[in-house]
Amino acid sequence: MTALPIKTQVAATALLGGLALAFGAPALAAETVNVGMSTSLTGPVAQLGIASKDGAQMAIDRINKDGGLLGKQIKLLTADGQLKPNTGVTNVRNFVLADHAVAIVGPVSSAVGIAEAGVAAQYQVPIFFNTSNDVDQTGKAFSKYAFQVVPSTYMEPHAMALYVAKLFKQHHWKTLYTIAPNYAFGHSTVEQFLAGLKQDGVDVDVVGQQWPQLGASDYTQYISAIMAKSPDFVFAAEYGGDLITFTKQAEGAGLFKKTQVLADYWPLALEALGASAPAGAITDDRAPPFYTVKTKEMDQFAQAFHAKYQRWPGTWAILGYSAVQTWAQGVQKAGSFDGTKVADALGDGPMIKTVRGDFKLRACDHLAEIPVYMGVLSKDVDAKYGRRVMADVVAQPSDKIMLSCTAKQAMQPQA
Amino acid sequence: MSLDTVATLVFSGLTSASLLFLVAAGLTLIFGAMHIVNIAHGSFYMLAAFVVASLTQSMAADSTAVFWLSLLVAPILVGVLGMLTEVLVLRRLYGREPLLGLLATFGLLYLFEGIALIVWGGQYRSIPIPHALQGHVQAVGEAFSIYNLFVIAIAIAVGLFLWWLLQRTQLGWRVRAAVEDPETLAASGTNVRRLFTAVFALGAVLAGIAGAVTGPIESITTGLDAQILVEAFIVVVIGGLGSVPGAAIGAVVIGLFETAGVIWAPSFASAFIYVAMILVLIIRPSGLLGVTERVG
Repeated sequence: MTALPIKTQVAATALLGGLALAFGAPALAAETVNVGMSTSLTGPVAQLGIASKDGAQMAIDRINKDGGLLGKQIKLLTADGQLKPNTGVTNVRNFVLADHAVAIVGPVSSAVGIAEAGVAAQYQVPIFFNTSNDVDQTGKAFSKYAFQVVPSTYMEPHAMALYVAKLFKQHHWKTLYTIAPNYAFGHSTVEQFLAGLKQDGVDVDVVGQQWPQLGASDYTQYISAIMAKSPDFVFAAEYGGDLITFTKQAEGAGLFKKTQVLADYWPLALEALGASAPAGAITDDRAPPFYTVKTKEMDQFAQAFHAKYQRWPGTWAILGYSAVQTWAQGVQKAGSFDGTKVADALGDGPMIKTVRGDFKLRACDHLAEIPVYMGVLSKDVDAKYGRRVMADVVAQPSDKIMLSCTAKQAMQPQA
Repeated sequence: MSLDTVATLVFSGLTSASLLFLVAAGLTLIFGAMHIVNIAHGSFYMLAAFVVASLTQSMAADSTAVFWLSLLVAPILVGVLGMLTEVLVLRRLYGREPLLGLLATFGLLYLFEGIALIVWGGQYRSIPIPHALQGHVQAVGEAFSIYNLFVIAIAIAVGLFLWWLLQRTQLGWRVRAAVEDPETLAASGTNVRRLFTAVFALGAVLAGIAGAVTGPIESITTGLDAQILVEAFIVVVIGGLGSVPGAAIGAVVIGLFETAGVIWAPSFASAFIYVAMILVLIIRPSGLLGVTERVG
């Protein structure tokens, strides 16, 4: 076989390349639409990121199975944000510029979320926070492209205070001790919780406060110091791995027998603790536990999730699922994938139908008007789930726990 | 402050000290004998905890028996891993820039973390406290957790064993000689290479014991490695680099200092150990039992 003259080769290549660009590549790209998710897939909070990614993927699978969105199939792209704001920013930029992602689902950490919100606004792509919940994400970092479907760091402690205020009055409790990780989240949560109690008319005596480092492996001294004061009530804003360590060491010291404790016993922690989770402790959840939502949709989701991942969906999966559902309804309402059109469609406060229940997106700050769920850890280990569950679940209504629109708008950048 | 409160606080301080000593002892032993700052030490600790978590989970029949067994198996496994690490990686770096050892073990920390993530995933794991060690004993009107007593007992046992090994055996004599003068030791017919392998493996075993023993009272997840390393380093620096008794004293100092911080200045408690380290270094730059660095 004789080689073609070099000029012919170049011309043919250029022609083929041009043809591919003109017809092939866009034709291929038109089949699917990308959604980007940069979250923690490794490191200390990876389990939250992985679970919310799994939830988002389930929602996308469901949309694709039902024929897609505006006739297009959706693809979820993921990248590890490694808890670093600049990595998150780079990932989001790559999603938008290289993969033409039309929406972003948020990270685990609020510091990363706030950084990503800036890029989303810059490229006019909507971003949906489903795990990170700093009040600043819809405050200082607010733009028309930022949306949040998880209760904020203001709503959570105020919901807890509302629930606990009743108990304080009922049992005539007076003394309270707080323990929280020594960083912004811990301090602001404790501060808001105490402010909430005051608002709800409870006069408490804070007999001590502890601020262990995030990720501490040893809480024995903290627990001893708490027990030395014999408080009526302990507010523990520890979560995840820290909460597990705290719980195991507190159990050993007999803290749960001596006093009433409130902590974030979310499903992942309950799974890890199994029977060692303290029965009767007060807990909260950012999403309704799936077994309390008796709808066909939740049932289908839970079964499908269990079939795919061999575990039951928890908070993060439900929130990831509803973040994608929120975006999808924005696309439907806008009749377009265009970021600005979708943001406008969602920005005027529509009602969103999701697996966790319907909610309104508040026009003033794009925060979902969702309750925070409170309850106590079940007396017995649930046979089906192999762990304790949240029992006697009460939804603290959003209108009682949200920061007012006026206060929120004062935080937002002025246009 | 009443006597019972003081007793409880001293007890919790000693529990912390025991955990720290178990990790710090291996770290200081390796540094003393081989002059390697082993950043991967925390990995051995973490991997042992993961092994115990897997064993107790997969053989749930009699958790207590399985727990005792895994307390033996996990340190041995990480000891073997330590041996391989020394033979395959560190052996090539002796006599070269100390920074290389630091960077190599730093790389290993990431490698082991990656492996742990692939094998065990990102989920938290929690090991149940074995039945025999659940509950409390009552003394001076306070309840003391039996498991914490067990942790303290293990730390004391390991401390005594190390003392005996280093002071009363041939191997210990050689290790101490290697610290002082490796060249003369090699000239007198000791296989220093093999000795270093043994010391490194022993250090890994100690980290393994710490990880296995601590497992039931903490959440097991990747990230445990780096977290424990920082505190263990502080203990080692306070005690004097290379000194096992120093590590024991350093651990007690930190344990009690942290407790004091928690009671008297809760807002600054997490900074207290750093303050303790700085104070010690101002008074004795080589640490409490440290020897001043040999010159030349």
